Amino acid sequence: MSLLAIMSLLNGLTLAALLFITASGLTLSFSLMRVVNLTHGAFYMAGGFIGVTVIKVTGSWLLAMLAGGGVMAVAALLEEKYLLRWARGNDLIETLISLSVAIIIGDLVLVIWGGYPKTIEIPAMLSGIWTIPVIDMVYPVFRIFMLALAILIVVALWLFLKKTNLGITIRAGVDNFEMVSALGINVRRLFTIVFCLSGFLAGVSGVVGGTFMMLVVGEDWRILTLTLIVIIIGGMGSLGGTIVGALITGLIYSFATAYIPEFSLFILFLPVAVILSIRPHGLFGAKA
Amino acid sequence: MQNKRIPISVLVLLSLALLVAVPWIASDYFVMMCIRVMYFGMLTLSLCFLASELGVVSLMQASFFGISGYFIAILQTRYQLQFPIPPLVGIGVAVLFAALTGLLVIRARGIYFLMLTLVLGQLIWALASQWASVTRGDSGITDIFAPLIFGISTEKSKGAFYLFELFFFCGVIWFLAALKRSPFGLMLRGVRDSESRMAMLGYPVSLLRYVAFIFAAFVASVGGVFFAYFTGLINPHAVSLTTNVETLLAGILGGIQTLFGAILGTAILKILDVVLSGITKRYLLVMGILFLITIMFAPKGAAGGLKRLWDFVASRTLGSRSGAPARGAADDPFYDNTK
Repeated sequence: MSLLAIMSLLNGLTLAALLFITASGLTLSFSLMRVVNLTHGAFYMAGGFIGVTVIKVTGSWLLAMLAGGGVMAVAALLEEKYLLRWARGNDLIETLISLSVAIIIGDLVLVIWGGYPKTIEIPAMLSGIWTIPVIDMVYPVFRIFMLALAILIVVALWLFLKKTNLGITIRAGVDNFEMVSALGINVRRLFTIVFCLSGFLAGVSGVVGGTFMMLVVGEDWRILTLTLIVIIIGGMGSLGGTIVGALITGLIYSFATAYIPEFSLFILFLPVAVILSIRPHGLFGAKA
Repeated sequence: MQNKRIPISVLVLLSLALLVAVPWIASDYFVMMCIRVMYFGMLTLSLCFLASELGVVSLMQASFFGISGYFIAILQTRYQLQFPIPPLVGIGVAVLFAALTGLLVIRARGIYFLMLTLVLGQLIWALASQWASVTRGDSGITDIFAPLIFGISTEKSKGAFYLFELFFFCGVIWFLAALKRSPFGLMLRGVRDSESRMAMLGYPVSLLRYVAFIFAAFVASVGGVFFAYFTGLINPHAVSLTTNVETLLAGILGGIQTLFGAILGTAILKILDVVLSGITKRYLLVMGILFLITIMFAPKGAAGGLKRLWDFVASRTLGSRSGAPARGAADDPFYDNTK
């Protein structure tokens, strides 16, 4: 394997990690509420830019990440409570509302932070490079950290959904929504919580993504496209599917960027087409 | 249905005569505005056709619009091909692409369809933006010249371009109206209202939806031809999500159910575009807010609003209750047939 191939492989894995963090929030809110939150990409970008500002003021990357996630959780809360709830039950209208909110946020970001690309500085603790043994090549520590963070989030989400009361209620809501509400559980509150969590994850991934890639206007739609591809490939509402989908998408995108840059995004048409023609609901998707 | 005294055909002929007369009686600015409304109108028509006859919202109609535009640009500026060939190839490729993507999306319904078309549309946008050796990237292809028609240069004479476009525009309207009335259109309506029943009766449900998807793409690609010829340039903006959302907004503003609504909505949006560009640079912001308000408060659009007003007035003045809008499948702008 050439150096470029190894590099693409590693970059693909880190991109997959980022895509997983982004897509897990989206798939969670989708599986409960049957709404494809098209604001997700805008949350990613806005969260990243908030991270830029926070790090400029405080200098703490961790704080930037929490602020990006936190503000986006509040934004998600407001969107769910005041806009989506308006059209509850009509999932198409809800999705279109989220689309319009995405456009509004996208333009507001342009007003506040301007059109120039920005990046978040890598925190000092993670800024080194690491020499990979055996093949003797160097790789940024931050990217290794991203992989670890993604795995941490997988484990945390899994524990949350399997072990906590709230997580169990959410899973029950995914499986049989009417039954859960009939049992007297406050489903509205459940929706709001899941939507907040989803916004939080989008904001966090925005800060993480902004640290190793550029943050630029238009990034919201690029990330949303990639995230949706992850979900289409993996199957809506499946955490395992999201992991597989993120790996496929991240690796193909990364290899294509290295070898055929003119088609780096368009090539993703291929896995989407192949998987949809074999399994219309994605690799791990249940028939809705 | 109060004015049955004047036959519809007379009305149609009168309005057609008025439309043909526009270049002689109206200002150049108005003619150019009409040209713009017509080609974007065809794009909106294709979206509204899908929404009203299939009950799905597509966010990739601009891809077909842009594909034909791009092919005209490439064939004309790179290979110097003469007039009828580039648009014919462009429309042909757009229709072929619709035949390919149709296979993927046609099984999807509701938000799945929306999501899939959003992704596919974005991939086309990425191709237009990244494949710089052919599409010249974000700056796009310029110097597309409109053709000579009967020896008159439609590049120089806006009036001639208007008539050239009007001919095809009316053709498209006639095509869609005839399609809606045809057995094919009635079958489609049946599929939209109760897919399982139509399948039980032995109709090829998926094939019907598939063919309708291709027809819609055809209409959008015809619009793309005039877009490329009139503006003389094409860049990734033509296939961007912004264009797709604008189209959807135009459809919703006018009312998605009718052909007239699609044109009305496009006209409203394009006039707004002109007004706003003089006032503010935050076009997207205003568009987003407008979109939000429309979808939340008037999802049936201006044409639907006018109809409701008319029904209200009619029921008051005539004392009949029949004017009250019925709640049900046919009245819902995005009737979701999965339920």
